[in-house]
Amino acid sequence: MKIFESLTLNHTGPRCQNCAHFQSDPALIEQTYPGLATMSSGYASVRDRDGLCNFHQVYLSGRDNCESFVAGRVEVEQEH
Amino acid sequence: MTTNNTETTAVKPSGWQEFWSKEDWWAVWLGLGIVILAAVLYLSGSSISWIAVAPAKWSNFSQLTAQFARNGVKYLALLGAFTVLFSIVVSFIGQKPKAFIPSFIFIFILSAIIYTLGNWDQASKYNLEPPLVALVVGLIISNVIGLPRWLDAGFRVEFYIKLGIVLLGATLPFTLIIWAGPVAILQASIVSVVTFLVIFFVARKLGLDHRLAAVLGAGGAVCGVSASIAVAGAVRAKKEDPPIAITLVVLWAIIFVFALPLISRSLSLPTGTAGAWIGTSEFADAAGLAAAQSYGGLAGHHLGITGTPDQALAAYTLIKVIGRDVWIGIWSLVLALISVTVWERNETKSKVQVGQIWWRFPKFVIGFLVASALITFIVYNHTLGDYTKTVKPVLITPIITLRTWAFTFSFLSIGLTTRFRELAAVGSKPVIAFTVGVIANVILGYFLSVIVFGHYWAAIVTH
Repeated sequence: MKIFESLTLNHTGPRCQNCAHFQSDPALIEQTYPGLATMSSGYASVRDRDGLCNFHQVYLSGRDNCESFVAGRVEVEQEH
Repeated sequence: MTTNNTETTAVKPSGWQEFWSKEDWWAVWLGLGIVILAAVLYLSGSSISWIAVAPAKWSNFSQLTAQFARNGVKYLALLGAFTVLFSIVVSFIGQKPKAFIPSFIFIFILSAIIYTLGNWDQASKYNLEPPLVALVVGLIISNVIGLPRWLDAGFRVEFYIKLGIVLLGATLPFTLIIWAGPVAILQASIVSVVTFLVIFFVARKLGLDHRLAAVLGAGGAVCGVSASIAVAGAVRAKKEDPPIAITLVVLWAIIFVFALPLISRSLSLPTGTAGAWIGTSEFADAAGLAAAQSYGGLAGHHLGITGTPDQALAAYTLIKVIGRDVWIGIWSLVLALISVTVWERNETKSKVQVGQIWWRFPKFVIGFLVASALITFIVYNHTLGDYTKTVKPVLITPIITLRTWAFTFSFLSIGLTTRFRELAAVGSKPVIAFTVGVIANVILGYFLSVIVFGHYWAAIVTH
């Protein structure tokens, strides 16, 4: 079935969280989205590793992937 | 499409780092740490009550000054303990303690004033319910007076509310969660699904994009801004979609903080019933808790309002946290799946990761449940008389006091971070879609909370 084919346990290959176009620093997300910290938080579990893709101009999961991946960025806030 | 084959130097993020990089986990560590310390001291014949200081009832200034003269050192110790613990948290999640500390001291002093005002014996006569006073004071300061931006470091609404909810777990019997949890899930699920579908289909009818419709629907149906931002990430929303939902949720949540207790009061709803309604129809955890605590505080002061303050909080928390919040991962998974298989079928080959059910799970709920189970286990063998005479003052009341501090920090922070001028502008279509959903939500929420399950919520046992 199409639905089951669309599910996976884990993406292989490069992920958005390591892409040069991707930004997920919680402080930056809170700054970009005024009001987020009023009724939620950039540091909340529900946000997982989501962030902004400056290439496609979308807000998406850092665990996602796409063909426009540009390597070389360390997600500092995720690494320590 | 640009593809770059440069090798990445990035280190693969470890799953373990979630334990110290997310506010949810810190609410669990800190909340359970306090509960365990309280339990250990109780079992060894002592108590945390020395440091869990709070203003007592007062009727004139000489009583008030005498109180503060007597307990001044305790207040300083409490401020010191909170400051040290919270500074550790903010440094781990990546903020600067240097900015946090003065901001937190500001919050603590304002909270102490509001807490004290709430214990004035004339407070109820002038409707000075501390949660609403905190919210109004915060709103006035941020929107009329204005504060330097760096002070925002200490206004961590979500962290304080999550810590408070973990501590709230310690004061609720685990048996209540087991007994009332399924009803809470049933009621909340009906309202969540209906509200989501109403917002989604009205938004689509008005021509809004699938993903924006889903982000708006989740905000109105599940858990406000947290749900909107989680679903936005799951469905790959456009960068400009989340702020639209944030603006609408914040505005409606602020309206409901005042409106739901007011309507409940005019209908003289029992505290448990009103708490269930607020839990079903309010959007954000912190805003809803302000409304529920405020209404609960009316019990015994206003003619016709039956029940206890704890019933309002318990019913609210069961519906909001157990009935709505914990399902955010499921909502995200389902909407992500619909997104890749239906909405953007031709745009992406990406697959949906099942793990997001856990990754997006609001982890503070684990602390809430463990705290409840732990304290229930400790007090299990006591009679009601023993509980009231021995356990409550030594073990439970100090935890309630610390919980009230955490909630007050949060309510104040809502006001201090709500800057109406800075919220994103929203077009008429999202406003219409969201508002139709809000109306459906509040009517259905009232019907289920008051007419169908009213007797149930009015009778919940919280001790």
